[in-house]
Amino acid sequence: MEVVKVEKTASRGIAVAPVYLYQEPDLTPDSYAITREQAEEEQKKFADARSAVAEELEKLAGENEIFAAHLEMANDFMLQDGVNNRIAIDQKNAQIAVKETVEEFAEMFAAMEDDYMRERGADIRDIGKRLLACLKGKRLPDLGSLDAPVIVAARDLYPSDTVKLNPEFVKGIVTEEGGVTSHVSIIAKSMNIPTLVGIGGILEKLTDGETVCMDAGQGILVLAPDAATLSEYQQKKEVYESERRRLKELRNTPAVTKEGKRIFLCANVGNVEDIKKALEMNIDGVGLFRSEFLYMENSHFPTEEEQFAVYKEAAELCPKELTIRTLDIGGDKELPYFTFEKEDNPFLGWRAIRISLDMKEMFKEQLRAILRASSYGHVRIMFPMLISLEELRDAKEIVEECKKELTAEGKDFDENIELGMMMETPASVILADAFAKEADFFSIGTNDLTQYLLAVDRGNKKIADRYSYFHPAVLSAIKHIIEAGHRAGIKVGMCGEMAGDSKAVLKLLEFGLDEFSMSAGNIDYVREQILNA
Amino acid sequence: MVSAKVIVKNPSGLHARPASVLAQAAGKCKSETILLYGEKRIQLKSILNIMSAAIKAGSEVEIQCSGDSEEEDLKTLVELVESGLGE
Repeated sequence: MEVVKVEKTASRGIAVAPVYLYQEPDLTPDSYAITREQAEEEQKKFADARSAVAEELEKLAGENEIFAAHLEMANDFMLQDGVNNRIAIDQKNAQIAVKETVEEFAEMFAAMEDDYMRERGADIRDIGKRLLACLKGKRLPDLGSLDAPVIVAARDLYPSDTVKLNPEFVKGIVTEEGGVTSHVSIIAKSMNIPTLVGIGGILEKLTDGETVCMDAGQGILVLAPDAATLSEYQQKKEVYESERRRLKELRNTPAVTKEGKRIFLCANVGNVEDIKKALEMNIDGVGLFRSEFLYMENSHFPTEEEQFAVYKEAAELCPKELTIRTLDIGGDKELPYFTFEKEDNPFLGWRAIRISLDMKEMFKEQLRAILRASSYGHVRIMFPMLISLEELRDAKEIVEECKKELTAEGKDFDENIELGMMMETPASVILADAFAKEADFFSIGTNDLTQYLLAVDRGNKKIADRYSYFHPAVLSAIKHIIEAGHRAGIKVGMCGEMAGDSKAVLKLLEFGLDEFSMSAGNIDYVREQILNA
Repeated sequence: MVSAKVIVKNPSGLHARPASVLAQAAGKCKSETILLYGEKRIQLKSILNIMSAAIKAGSEVEIQCSGDSEEEDLKTLVELVESGLGE
């Protein structure tokens, strides 16, 4: 038995199942020589392999018409003649004959002008792989063919792999590469498959078909578990799953504390897909729409129309509110089409609202898009990184300007749209009372607030133990912000990591926090804490 | 031998999907089926041969059939190309 400790949990949960090594087998053709008399035998081997592959492809073609052309290629007489001639005339064995014939066709496609045709070289190579695997008696990994529970182990999983993931059989995932924000992590989280990523060298330690136990939440993987460990994990798994079911049932209960205070439970999202997923958790809305993703995943500054289409769809999806944070780039977030000057202290540099106020035309495109979307739901605008009242006033004035333009153009928007701000700089904390008189709501961004208040870089591993939102200075600042907001009669929410930490819920409720906004995966846990508070 | 000229209408030319439809239909023909495209002489029963010719949209091609049922085969293949090969 060996216990592997893993740092990167992509998706929580417990799993006990045999390992399915999702790894390409070695398909180098065997180099054995053949005599003239053996040619027929080799051709027969090829014919059998080809029929088996054709049968396999026929099945696939029934499910997905993309494979119709694959099937036709596998049946192609030129391919068959190519292989059979190499065996009969050149006296190559079947494996080498397949490899050479396929390469010849693949290279022919590769030499073509048309991009599309060039890529078809991959199709013929795929057929070659299937034929070789068949000839060598190897199994090609295929997530779509699973029919029993497994833990998938791979170097990494790409979108073409994850589309075939069936949570009915894939009980867990472990990968050598990838981080918690990589593609596989995002998919695993949305499918609720326990997943550990970035475990260097794990594939060498795992054996196909051997049962392992994993507790992804704790970052533990147990190889070759003994009987006692197996039953311990089986039990843990049942407890965890009944816990999940119980939490799921709680989703229909509105988040009201025992004292009767109705708390808003919202999601932090980066796009419309995130909202759709979060809606399953029965959220009140979105407390933080990170509009920067629209800018980062683009080839140009998104136009008003492009942004409007996204915000409108988001607004229509959100039941009670959609809070859009205006562009928050700079710091660690860059744009592919805009060069930021290199700064010595990017987190204290030209970022967020500072950029928006300096690039007024770009800012207006975004504000106009948000305003227009506001007639399709309850939309709120949130400004990031404010340090002075002047900044808030300037931003509000630009909103007014946009409103006037839209009115003149006869375009609809919500006249009373709320304009609020992130509370994430020490200056905003100290000036909270003054800000509360001019902002329509506060949302506490604990990630930056903690880093700025404690002067601790949150990305620096060496001082990671000093970074904590439970530090008395941070707690005191949070309390102060909430009280200042309430004195002025405005709502105070939180959209940093802390809002999704079930250990922090009681404290935040005690301070009087009105809204918790977090990544969707934490909502069930926080709801339970609120209901019991 | 009978032959006829026809224009390829498929917007992306004879790529994998239409080529597979054409090769399949030719495979059912009893006669020998050849497609002439510029200098190229293509075996219609082979999808690899069709695809490797990279026939572009709007090209004029000539289909030749020879052997039993050549008339009927030619008619089938010409109609199929004209109908857009299932696209």
